[in-house]
Amino acid sequence: MANNRKKWASLAAVLCTSAMAITAISVGSANASASRTGKSAVVNGGTATVDMPGYPNSLDPQEGYTLNAGEADWIVYTPLLTYVHKSGLAGTQIIPGLATALPVVTDNGTTYTLTLRKGLEYSNGAAVVASDFKFAVERALKLNWGASSFLLVIQGAAAYQSGHASTLTGITTDDATGRITIKLTSSYGAFDNVLCFPALSPVPQTTPMTVQTTHLPPGVGAYVIENIVPDVSFDLVKNPLFAKFHIPGIPLGHLNEIEVSVDSNSVSAAEAVLDNQVDAFDVTGNIPPSLLGTVESRASSRFAKVIVASTDYFFLNESMPPFNNEQARIAVSYAVDRNALARLGGGFTVPDCYFVPVGIPGHPTSPCPYPSPNLAKAKALVKAAHLVGTKVSVYGWSQSPGEAQVEYYASVLTNIGFKVDLKIINPSIYWSTIGNVKTGAQTGIAGQFLDFPNPGDFFLLLDARNIHPVNSDNFGNVDDPHLQATIESLEKVPASQLASVAKQWAALSVYAAQKVLAYTWGSSQLPEFLSNRIDFKTAVFQPLFMDDWSSWELNS
Amino acid sequence: MQSEGLLPGFRFGGKEPLVVAGLSPSRLAMRRLRHNVVALAFGGMFLVVAALCFMAPLYARYVAHTGPNDNHVMETIVIGGHRVDVVSPIGIPIGPTWHSRFFFGADFNGRDLAVRLLYGGRNSLVIGFSATAITIVCALVIALLAGYYRGWVDIVLTRFLDLLWAYPAVLLGVAIGTSLVLGGLSIGPLHVSGNSLYVPAVIIGFVNIPYVAKPIRGEVLLLREREFVDAARVLGLNPLRIIFSEILPNLSSTIIVFVPLMIANSILLEAGLSYLGAGVQPPNASWGTMISSGVEYITSSPYLVLVPGITLIVAVLGINVFGDGLRDALDPRAAISKAH
Repeated sequence: MANNRKKWASLAAVLCTSAMAITAISVGSANASASRTGKSAVVNGGTATVDMPGYPNSLDPQEGYTLNAGEADWIVYTPLLTYVHKSGLAGTQIIPGLATALPVVTDNGTTYTLTLRKGLEYSNGAAVVASDFKFAVERALKLNWGASSFLLVIQGAAAYQSGHASTLTGITTDDATGRITIKLTSSYGAFDNVLCFPALSPVPQTTPMTVQTTHLPPGVGAYVIENIVPDVSFDLVKNPLFAKFHIPGIPLGHLNEIEVSVDSNSVSAAEAVLDNQVDAFDVTGNIPPSLLGTVESRASSRFAKVIVASTDYFFLNESMPPFNNEQARIAVSYAVDRNALARLGGGFTVPDCYFVPVGIPGHPTSPCPYPSPNLAKAKALVKAAHLVGTKVSVYGWSQSPGEAQVEYYASVLTNIGFKVDLKIINPSIYWSTIGNVKTGAQTGIAGQFLDFPNPGDFFLLLDARNIHPVNSDNFGNVDDPHLQATIESLEKVPASQLASVAKQWAALSVYAAQKVLAYTWGSSQLPEFLSNRIDFKTAVFQPLFMDDWSSWELNS
Repeated sequence: MQSEGLLPGFRFGGKEPLVVAGLSPSRLAMRRLRHNVVALAFGGMFLVVAALCFMAPLYARYVAHTGPNDNHVMETIVIGGHRVDVVSPIGIPIGPTWHSRFFFGADFNGRDLAVRLLYGGRNSLVIGFSATAITIVCALVIALLAGYYRGWVDIVLTRFLDLLWAYPAVLLGVAIGTSLVLGGLSIGPLHVSGNSLYVPAVIIGFVNIPYVAKPIRGEVLLLREREFVDAARVLGLNPLRIIFSEILPNLSSTIIVFVPLMIANSILLEAGLSYLGAGVQPPNASWGTMISSGVEYITSSPYLVLVPGITLIVAVLGINVFGDGLRDALDPRAAISKAH
């Protein structure tokens, strides 16, 4: 009997302990102290801390490509051209960076000429010369930088990258005058934007042609990256040499130091900022829905959802059944409820049906072509096309909120008559998996943040030139003749004249939506969430590089 | 007519002959088990959970009126006269309603948690039982061959078990599970898709083999030296017949003890693998996947973790305590007072 009592007691203890542990976690968040919203004058100097959900893919300028890499590299490695340090649309304006002026474009848009500013020095005091730019481009090509495909428009770039040429013939430089001449294989209107990537900022020619993790090359920028502990943390420390160059439009930075640490737990990261223990919740993180209400109510003066030019969509593989049938794609468009997907996005998704997002020239204003949800219509279309029971492999990644969104999508496809095989895979192998033609992914979740504010940047994902056996960007294998011809015609228009062809881009967006070349369902919003130590009003949320750390000032 | 167990002509001091009921080992074990109230109670608790889980389709159809994978993201229900979103505009699912619909609340996709709990339990139990069957069958074959034949057969099979044992079971399970998610499992003409329940069942059954095969092999090594096995050899029985007719029946009590323990272990391992994304694949539910997906919402919706977590504890505790009782009952050295 005593034995029995012990066993019952053990059971009770196990259950109570589990319940108490979980309750304690819940109560912990509820007890978070109230934020202070007091505001006073700002001060220069000081240190701010940032929690990032993951480490950048690389801090090396010729390798870093992720959003969080860009946040750091943008204020450390200034390129020849750059963007204005302002929030919203104003932040998409291109200004000279290390170049004296915007490029002179000649030869029908195939030759770009720029001049390097005089007297520039790297953060280690070494002089910057024009040929360092050519070296940086060569290095980005050799290191296979994530966006190196944008550089292949430079004459000789493909040959240099593949090892068939020992130097990049399309760029000539004169160190004495600082003159840089870039020759393109064909005119490419967005090349001004390409010159704004931090990857194209000059680095000393003594930099090894291998990715650097702890000993980064020096740059020309307001800050220097130091104290790097890979996958854990790094610091940005003010570059004292930068002030003497007086580059208009590029801030010198207010803080002395920005300490960045990785915290993959979004709950603890958000709570730390809510409690003012950490100064910033990095934009690349997701504020958990469970905390969003608390953050919005208790930190309303230092939290905002900022819409970024981005496209969330489901690719529909047009090279195989059932989505090689336009009726099947239209059925998807009728069936899926964009508001449901936005709700699953935890309030951080704005529904939209056009491939070119809000904030980019070429975003149409007309209503969506297929009002949804209309399940009856969708089912009828699938039935009429004799596609009921067709197997469809649906791909998604195992990360919130994408996983919930793709599960919803799979349930809708099942409802309209497809036989769905849902495949949820690790985010780290997701893109290479769906970008491999052998995988045969029929549909799945995808998204694109802008690389630069040009509709051509988004249409790259529907461009037949981007269908490759591996690492394809055109996941749906879209090869539409009208779309292709229009892209190739409009992409030649220089960035400075983009407004003149905005209507044509908008018409192309409507065409893509009518043909459902991809099922677009919205744009993302990102959290701008700071502690009450930082002046939220003056903090810049730049549309391309997000949190502009050089704009942060501490409240006194 | 003489009753069974009566010792004929035996008298104690001129009194009536003492009648001793001679019971078989299995009947003795059953008698011991019947007296172990705690084990029976916990066994009953497990059976109740299992029965409820296997009635999941009935509950889904007649009570909740929704399937386990039906999303209700944009729907509303009336609770206490008020219309409430199943999933709020910022993605927070409704909590327990204690009504037929969304009795335990909804998950982040607006799916009925009670329905998924029962279907998930059914999946967990199917995997637990299937994996145990795979483990026991494979372990028996390996142990019988290695223990009976000894020599190079034993060396090869034992080294294989050592190799398997050298890897932590969860790590091995995650490695195999992750690689099978995409392509599924192909053994000859048989193909199992990546999201089939049989994939985690096979993985768990496979990684658990050494834990059963090793002790059984030891027992086979002892049994093969016993007189009755020698006698069978002298009678000219072939090795396979000796294995199946002489040795295997003597392993039955060991196997019976292993079964509930392995079921509990398999259910837990399934939960662990599913938690790590290498077990049951979405949209199918299991207790492990439910806990995993609920963790992110633990501050706002703790029931998403508590409900499957407590059910998992109850089921595993139930079968574990019952398994302990069964082991005590089958142990011939167990206290006689308990048995009589």
